[in-house]
Amino acid sequence: MVRITQWRNKCIGCNICVEVAFYRWRISTKDGRCTLVEGIESKGLFTAIVGDDEYEINKTAAKHCPVKIIRVEKMKS
Amino acid sequence: MARRIELMAPAGSFESLTAAIQAGADSVYFGVEQLNMRVKASSNFTLGDIPRVMAMCRQNGVKAYLTINTIIYTHDITIMKSIIDIAIKNKVNAVIASDQAVMTYARRVGMPVHISTQANVSNIDSLEFYSAYADAVVLARELTLKQVSAITKEIRRRKITGPSEELMKVEVFGHGALCMAISGKCYLSLHSAYSSANRGACVQNCRRSYVVTDKEQGIEFEVDNQYIMSAKDLCTIDFLDQLIGSGASILKLEGRGRSADYVHTVTKCYREAIDACYMGLYSKELVKYWKEQLSTVFNRGFWDGYYLGRTIGEWSHDYGSKATKKKVYLGRGLKYFEYSRAAEFRIEAQSLSVGNEILITGPTTGVVQTRINEIRVNDIPTDTVHKGDIISIPLPDRVRPADKLYKLVDV
Repeated sequence: MVRITQWRNKCIGCNICVEVAFYRWRISTKDGRCTLVEGIESKGLFTAIVGDDEYEINKTAAKHCPVKIIRVEKMKS
Repeated sequence: MARRIELMAPAGSFESLTAAIQAGADSVYFGVEQLNMRVKASSNFTLGDIPRVMAMCRQNGVKAYLTINTIIYTHDITIMKSIIDIAIKNKVNAVIASDQAVMTYARRVGMPVHISTQANVSNIDSLEFYSAYADAVVLARELTLKQVSAITKEIRRRKITGPSEELMKVEVFGHGALCMAISGKCYLSLHSAYSSANRGACVQNCRRSYVVTDKEQGIEFEVDNQYIMSAKDLCTIDFLDQLIGSGASILKLEGRGRSADYVHTVTKCYREAIDACYMGLYSKELVKYWKEQLSTVFNRGFWDGYYLGRTIGEWSHDYGSKATKKKVYLGRGLKYFEYSRAAEFRIEAQSLSVGNEILITGPTTGVVQTRINEIRVNDIPTDTVHKGDIISIPLPDRVRPADKLYKLVDV
């Protein structure tokens, strides 16, 4: 499994993660920031546990994020 | 006497805001959330900070302008409107905008607008176009003083007024970093790092050194100055009288991404210089003194920008700052003893000796710069203190637990 974490209130709404992995990221028209689909919030951090097949594409989204607020890591089984 | 030019200082944090107010700024500009050109600055204000910012400004008789000057996408419209609504509620003096969506909404809800330099207004007709929305226009930084003068003269001749029905004001940049592209119209950062300069996330790759390579033969061309894209910093203090004479109403200082001591030094120098111009005291000797002061804080070397009619930019010869002084972090404030007028600090790094120049910065304290005459540890006078020591020093200004203590050393 893969854990994706986003520090949402630092997002600048550039939309790059949506362009890279559109099924995992949505831009919110309420506040202009990106939302991690199925993300659960805890103390400002949003976390989603997803399948291994999403690892590479979200790693690319994290690499391209200009403010580096996305972390993608493989979970120990 | 004509109305004095307004000195507008950058406020990227509460520390810088306090520093700007202390140093004599007439107004400040600041950004909140993600729609401003310094979105990567470590400490950006949030929507919740606006009431405190405005309270501090009102208390000190300083105007405050809010920047919403990035490119705006459709998904940004709601947050942009929320920012303007909260700005109106808190009586922000104006918003600085470059996108028509921001101008239109601000105008509709009665929020005064300044046109950002990102709109690249370079001629009188363009300024007249924006007069339907705005009371002030920041001209493109690439204009010469003659062009600025011609525009201000034409505003008076054509009687171009903004929504407030007063003559349009012209705002010009006086000091700080310059962009190698026409005021931010640059794609370098986006292409290389997916980090759009026009969304306030410039990674500043123009500031690095480059070589030119012939792709056919692989020959590397030697360029005298490797920093072929890094412009020196704008400094107008040595022709400020001419700049004021051009008819500009507002002099803006760049630096929302800079530290509080930078904002304090630059604002103080320009405050003194503007006052000297109006009092007839502006002189070469004073300019020399101000330039020395300006050199002590971050700079890439100075040049006069495009104001004096140069056809090509002057490029920096080094990476990073040419400041003559650098600050070294020492520790944090602990207490202030009102009665004995002494401040207590914990030294967390390096050492400090009697005779050293120190700098204290904090959100409420702003900037305090002084030279150490006496240091005490456990009330015993000491010449040098090291990491781990808790020290007290005589200080007329109050310090607070959030304050940071630095030592200023020559570079």
